[in-house]
Amino acid sequence: MGYTSDTDLSAHLRRAMLDADPALSRYNPLSRILVFDQFNSGTHGWTELIGNHDGEGNLDTVDDHMKDFRPPQLSSCTFFDVGTHGAMTGTYALKVATRPLAGHTAVAIRRLTMARKGRVQFETYFTYKSEASSEENRAAEQAGAGEWDGNIHPSEQQFGAFTVATDICDTRGVRYHTVVRYQNTDLDNRFTRRWMYPVVPEPTPREHLQGKAKLGPTDDFTAPDPEDWRAFGEPQSFCYNEVPTKVNWHYLRWQIDTETQRNVELQVNDRVYDMRDVPVPAYEDRYDSLDNLLNFYVSARTHTNVRNFLFLDSVLISVDW
Amino acid sequence: MRQSQTAVLERYRVLRGDFTTEPFEAGWAGEARWFVQVLETARPDTRIVVTTQVSPDGLHWCDAGCPTQVVAGKDMISWPVREFGQWLRITGSVEGDGGSAKVQIYLTLKE
Repeated sequence: MGYTSDTDLSAHLRRAMLDADPALSRYNPLSRILVFDQFNSGTHGWTELIGNHDGEGNLDTVDDHMKDFRPPQLSSCTFFDVGTHGAMTGTYALKVATRPLAGHTAVAIRRLTMARKGRVQFETYFTYKSEASSEENRAAEQAGAGEWDGNIHPSEQQFGAFTVATDICDTRGVRYHTVVRYQNTDLDNRFTRRWMYPVVPEPTPREHLQGKAKLGPTDDFTAPDPEDWRAFGEPQSFCYNEVPTKVNWHYLRWQIDTETQRNVELQVNDRVYDMRDVPVPAYEDRYDSLDNLLNFYVSARTHTNVRNFLFLDSVLISVDW
Repeated sequence: MRQSQTAVLERYRVLRGDFTTEPFEAGWAGEARWFVQVLETARPDTRIVVTTQVSPDGLHWCDAGCPTQVVAGKDMISWPVREFGQWLRITGSVEGDGGSAKVQIYLTLKE
């Protein structure tokens, strides 16, 4: 095998070393791996998102819609019918679980900063599930549940949406979010199975304090008005695998550019979506205390009174710095 | 180094009558400790009575066999749980007509 330059040789050697590691060979990182979170060994800095509070620590001052995003759990993916399913890597995955309340959103966040501007890539192996029905939760009687036809399970239409997003701020105080959402069902629990992005920035605690925004506990905090969401690409179906207790893991790779403040592309299994034309609305106001902010969050949002779960086997965030 | 995790299961929530916390997976942990911090009560002697429950699957629950816990007025109580299997939650009630209590509920877990 011939190489035309030392750079080619270096790239091949690097890929060969990644391929020699069973944990990393399933990923396609940029030149520098910033974090590699295998949830078989802890939560790795993923924590519950909460809104801001006052100087006295009075949590009544936290915005209603940012007060109950639920703590992430280390889950063995255990179900009533088979017991422990386990994760893709070892026993445990990170689970983000909503309450059984239509409109409730659960959010886990990972807080970083940028050493330079440039390409940033988020990769994960994930799956999503609605909670199985029981005598206590009566999920089978909640909105979205249909007839079981032996193939599609009624619970699949009880999963609303999951989101992967960022919160980024440069050194001039320019703050923006890049967002990708998989909407499995619309608010009437009908399959839409599409990728979406918001055309407005997320309402912030400062905007609330300034009287510019006031949301209820179950409002969609990323962009509360459904009319502010747009679809991109073709609809995509996943291997939900027919019932709420079978777990198949899906690959997601999402790249953004913090130099240009744009999305780049999204890959989910066999689909690659060019996102360079997807707009990224920045806040008009400038923000202090957030220099070089680089946060990633993942969320699950239920559209019915059934718990929705987003499971992450592992996460790799890489950069080209 | 032992793994540990603290989860805030209820945050400044006002409880009235019967309540149950969300299920929390803790199969990786060998020991757990609950904290119920009462921030405000309708009356100084408002009592909250709490039972610890366990589940093999997050759907079906039974009592863990821990002593019933009682907290009265603005106070904080704590109790340990061991050999709990996979899932933990607490269920309980705020006693008295019109009784209410604002609480913060923590579950702390350690390998």
